Amino acid sequence: MATNVATAGGEVQVTNLVNYTLVKLHVAMGLIFFIIVGLMGFLYSLQLDGIYPFPGIEFLSAGRVRMIHTAGAAYGFLVNMFTGLLYWAVPRFTGYKVFNEKYLGGFMFIGLQAAVLITVVAILFLGMADNVEWGETPWWLDPIIVAWLLLHAIQFGAPIIKASQKAPLYVTGWYISAMLVWTPLVVFMGNFIPRFWSAGSGAGAVQSTFIHDLVGLYVTPVAWGLMYYFVPVIMKKPMWSHGLSLLGFWGLAFFYPLNGVHHYLWSPIPMFAQYSAVFATVAIEFAVTSVLINFMMTLRGSAEVLKYNVPLRYMYTGAIFYWITCFQCAFHVTLTFQKVIHFTDWVTGHAHLIMFGTFGMWVLGMAEYVWPRLFGKETMYSKGMSEGAYWLLTIGVIAMFVDLTAAGLVQGFDWIGLNPWIDSVNFSKPFWYFRSVTGIMMLTGLLMYAMNFYKTATAGKGLEAQLRESA
Amino acid sequence: MGKMERFPFIVLVAGLLFFLFADFVSWALPMFVLKDIPMKKVSDLAAEAKAKNTSAWADFERLAASYPEQFKKYYGEVNEESFAKALKIGHRWYVAEGCWNCHSQMVRPVSNETLRFGIPGVSNTVSYPSEFQNELQAPVLWGTKRIGPDLIREAAVHNIDWQVAHLYNPESTSPGTNMPGYPWFFEKDEKGNIVPNERGIGLLTYIMWLGSWEVKPTKEWALK
Repeated sequence: MATNVATAGGEVQVTNLVNYTLVKLHVAMGLIFFIIVGLMGFLYSLQLDGIYPFPGIEFLSAGRVRMIHTAGAAYGFLVNMFTGLLYWAVPRFTGYKVFNEKYLGGFMFIGLQAAVLITVVAILFLGMADNVEWGETPWWLDPIIVAWLLLHAIQFGAPIIKASQKAPLYVTGWYISAMLVWTPLVVFMGNFIPRFWSAGSGAGAVQSTFIHDLVGLYVTPVAWGLMYYFVPVIMKKPMWSHGLSLLGFWGLAFFYPLNGVHHYLWSPIPMFAQYSAVFATVAIEFAVTSVLINFMMTLRGSAEVLKYNVPLRYMYTGAIFYWITCFQCAFHVTLTFQKVIHFTDWVTGHAHLIMFGTFGMWVLGMAEYVWPRLFGKETMYSKGMSEGAYWLLTIGVIAMFVDLTAAGLVQGFDWIGLNPWIDSVNFSKPFWYFRSVTGIMMLTGLLMYAMNFYKTATAGKGLEAQLRESA
Repeated sequence: MGKMERFPFIVLVAGLLFFLFADFVSWALPMFVLKDIPMKKVSDLAAEAKAKNTSAWADFERLAASYPEQFKKYYGEVNEESFAKALKIGHRWYVAEGCWNCHSQMVRPVSNETLRFGIPGVSNTVSYPSEFQNELQAPVLWGTKRIGPDLIREAAVHNIDWQVAHLYNPESTSPGTNMPGYPWFFEKDEKGNIVPNERGIGLLTYIMWLGSWEVKPTKEWALK
């Protein structure tokens, strides 16, 4: 962003607050990994259908591919996307540049891609993985990821600290500040304590806390922080209630880290930990609802913007999915629901609605807002592709969610009924076939979205060039 | 209220205080409750299997007898060291192949799971903390998803020959299954028979070890 700054002499200086190259690189890599990760998920779904195209090939074994799907979604897709969008948002809402663009920024970019590629090679070709869900990266790589996250904290912490000294931080600043501290702690905790300082039920308690914290203390705060930045910017009006923003943030900060053990209910983890996790999970839904009310009331009177503004529509669609996921969670986190739905595809549907339906949609919306501006273009290349991608992704993820939720109920009741195990596989087959079809829809949407990105970046001339020509 | 919106307060209270409190409740306290359960190393598990002559030990002997050439080449003699080595290799590949993506290792006290995954009178117990307190459950392998059945009582469910056939071609023992075959856990011996290789023997030992501590000796291997 070029800002005109009036100096004491009355002259005008132009300073670049945002480093466009870093935003472009991270967002582009994030999008590429999004497609790769989606493809991996699709491949794995073909194994469930019994039509896996590469049977008997060790390096493309479905079990290994599935780990690339989950670990890649965390580090390749989300971390890249979020980092790119933070490079855009943090300097803008603080008014200061990040710590160091050229050296630290460049090093962090290369380091992140290297970490993801090493993970892929280790899991697919070397048979080295870690049985921590969402932490499938081999354990010897985890110190490097923690070090990367500490650099990330310095990079984005520096402008926030500067801004905080002058005035109270904007809402986005609260979420990002807390996240910068949480993330390295969470990754350290989840990958080292279960391996070196505990085992069994204790390790299970840490691992479940890790699964949940990586979502709750990295992905969620970055994503909400960016939402609090982008939504008011696009609608050109402030958030409806500052009080609700405060309530939402502190509610999330207190209750989210307490939720983890709900991933292992009815397990050998002591019951008090399971009960406290259930209580905290029900409690957090109130905090989530307060955030949602705030965003919906902000939309009031401007809802027609959703008709023509695709980025904003992505954001509100994701927000509604977020609330559905959390509402669903308040019920299925109870010990009663868990009897049926634990270990079934219900949980898979839930995970896809939050990761793809909410966070995926949000970053796609934000990236679509940022992308034409990065290249000096007025709009995205094609409105048609933009709309097409939105509808394919939205319908795809809703269909997948409904399908997997139903499949989960079928599996859960079938298992309770003590039918032969193969029955549950046969009963699930139609659902799994349909899930692969929804996967194709989502992948097509993503490819359309990426094509639009590519065309926006390369086709036609930017606004500046057009002005220069006409002058 | 202004203080709540500044960097130091957010980092100290939300970033550190809330986070540490949650970790204390979620896992430090449970770990404290479980601290008196002894932690076993793989060598302890091997010594236990031999001393108690569990089904896992019998299966290991059977592997040595069925595939003498491969067993001698990769593991040598049947003893505690070779059993521990096989468990370690088997565990490593169980993790690396993502077996835990589709198979859980936890029998819950609900939903008729003890009836489904155990054999009444032989191993119909719910999962309990001490059976996981060992090196091979760090990190724990409970899993979060079942496409296939739970495996923590597997020793009581199928025999070793079934496991060999199933690992090479799951369809041969479980018609209609969608589990992939794992031919790279096998090789050809001198006569051209397909037999488990080093990883294969390890993985089979590991799978037949799961739940073996719950299986009471039957006369089949007591007579041997």
